[in-house]
Amino acid sequence: MGRIVLENTTKSFGDVQVIPPLNLTIEDGEFAVFVGPSGCGKSTLLRMIAGLEDLTSGKIVIDDKDVTEVPPAQRGLAMVFQSYALYPHMTVRKNIGFPLRMEKMSQSEIDAKVDAAAKSLNLVDYLDRKPGQLSGGQRQRVAIGRAIVRDPSAFLFDEPLSNLDAALRVGMRLEISEMHQRMKTTMIYVTHDQVEAMTMADKIVVLQAGVIEQVGSPLDLYHKPRNIFVAGFIGSPKMNIFSGEEAAKFDAHSVGIRPEHLDVSTEGGIWKGTVGVAEHLGSDTFIHVHDTGLGDMFTVRISGDIAVTHGDTIYLTPHEGRMHRFDAQGMRIE
Amino acid sequence: MSDRRIPRLLQTPAVVLLLIWMLVPLSMTLYFSFIRYVLNSLRRPEWTKPSIENWRGFGNYEFVLNSKDFLLAIQNSLLIVCSILFLTVILGVLIAVLINKAFPGQGIVRVLLISPFFVMPAVNAVLWINMILDPVLGLQGVAVEGINGLLDALRMTPVIGNFFGMWPELQPISFRATQTSAWAVIIMVTWQWTPFAVLIFMTSLQSEDQQQKEAAILDGASTWSQFRFLTLPHLGRPIAIVVMIQAIFHLSLYAEIEIVSRGNGNKNLPYLIGEFANNNIGAASATGIFAVILANIVAIFLLRMVGKTLME
Repeated sequence: MGRIVLENTTKSFGDVQVIPPLNLTIEDGEFAVFVGPSGCGKSTLLRMIAGLEDLTSGKIVIDDKDVTEVPPAQRGLAMVFQSYALYPHMTVRKNIGFPLRMEKMSQSEIDAKVDAAAKSLNLVDYLDRKPGQLSGGQRQRVAIGRAIVRDPSAFLFDEPLSNLDAALRVGMRLEISEMHQRMKTTMIYVTHDQVEAMTMADKIVVLQAGVIEQVGSPLDLYHKPRNIFVAGFIGSPKMNIFSGEEAAKFDAHSVGIRPEHLDVSTEGGIWKGTVGVAEHLGSDTFIHVHDTGLGDMFTVRISGDIAVTHGDTIYLTPHEGRMHRFDAQGMRIE
Repeated sequence: MSDRRIPRLLQTPAVVLLLIWMLVPLSMTLYFSFIRYVLNSLRRPEWTKPSIENWRGFGNYEFVLNSKDFLLAIQNSLLIVCSILFLTVILGVLIAVLINKAFPGQGIVRVLLISPFFVMPAVNAVLWINMILDPVLGLQGVAVEGINGLLDALRMTPVIGNFFGMWPELQPISFRATQTSAWAVIIMVTWQWTPFAVLIFMTSLQSEDQQQKEAAILDGASTWSQFRFLTLPHLGRPIAIVVMIQAIFHLSLYAEIEIVSRGNGNKNLPYLIGEFANNNIGAASATGIFAVILANIVAIFLLRMVGKTLME
């Protein structure tokens, strides 16, 4: 079990309110990702759920029990930190067994649980090493092992992959997703990386300045962003957004079109521009187009390769029905 | 010249200077410890000049070992050093943990805490033995007199007077006496050196990882467990440093011992060396070699002990 409900929770540091009243429900077994630019309050929110930060007002309910005043250790949650927060003076075995030792569990039981966790995380050969002798990925695994042995009702991840190199990050991302499929435990995952959010989440919570901008499945957010902020934040490369006269033609204050929803031609199209930098990734090519008369630079994503060079003239045509229209308040127009 | 020789050449003066600095006194001490060498002798004037012809072999060492004060001096050196280390490390850790949390007036409290360290050892000793520990004029005498006066007054009151009548009259302790003068030294040096330990532990505590603490809180660790399993191991290395530096300093205590009791019943090795050096340089040198050996044993033993108990 692990259904987490936030009811009108707020958080202020002195006079500054970082989280205005916020309501959110995370269902049992769900993989929820909090995503947003740095400083948006997503880590604070996670720490409030963990009990490391007090609430200024409102309450937190886990499995129908109000835990607002319950100390962190008794909330039945386990957290994985960005810096791993391993205990440097203990071996891997003692690190993983530490929460059990604090519960005064018998040594034989601790050993059995630590061995089981180590086996599932491929850490058996490293049990007698200290954290300082492990690589980043192995440390990450130990931190996860320390969370698993507690058999928590929910896992909390605070940007767990941001200290790993790119290749390892992709691997660990898969492992955590795999772990979630296997254990079916509620997980809350904080990240600023929207690729992690899109690939792992059942439910994405997009935050900005402590306010929830949109809650939904990854594809919901991609296809139907509720406002300009979500539209610009989800998707890579970023959505092209323009406003003014050209937008008015579509009965909107501003209009957004994703780079992958633009057709490119050297002969003719709706918008004309000049080719800037073209980034060739092999499978895709990103072309930055200038001087379209639509405000900012446009990014176009096309499959495969195209023969254009810097300074060429190019024509862009949006796909039918792929335009996102927003009103003056930045909200989506259906 | 090759690339490597230039840096070596440039290092040479420093290395040579250091070698001379250390080796010359050590070899002179060794040399003097094996010859008869006194500063003043009417009967044997040839002994007043250091010369290889006055070779005495291990005679000086034998003389020192058989002198009545030698064992006492070794015992006292160990008692004083170990007690000071024990007290300063425990007090240092406690105070450092206490003032590590933010509170109003933190800056002033820290400066005041460090200030005993800036008092000169001789001044410290005079201050303590005359103004604090003195059984009549010091704070101790005043306090004992006050408590005795209060007890006397209570004995006069009806009903409860019988109860206090059974209490003994308090006796002030004379810290210049043979049995207690070592403790006077321990108290005053502990007072002076606790700030040093606090200072080192405090800087170390500030570098402690807060996320580890939060992880421990989530793992259900009590405040004591956090201290025992995180803070204390984190302090392992600074404790080793404090122990090592203080062991070196306190094995050579002199001013405090001189001022408290003029070495009366409370000699340590340096004081004994000082006494011998009044005339018998050979014996003083032999004692010095014993002191070197003792210092090395103490250093190795203490470091092992600290390392074992704290590094889990």
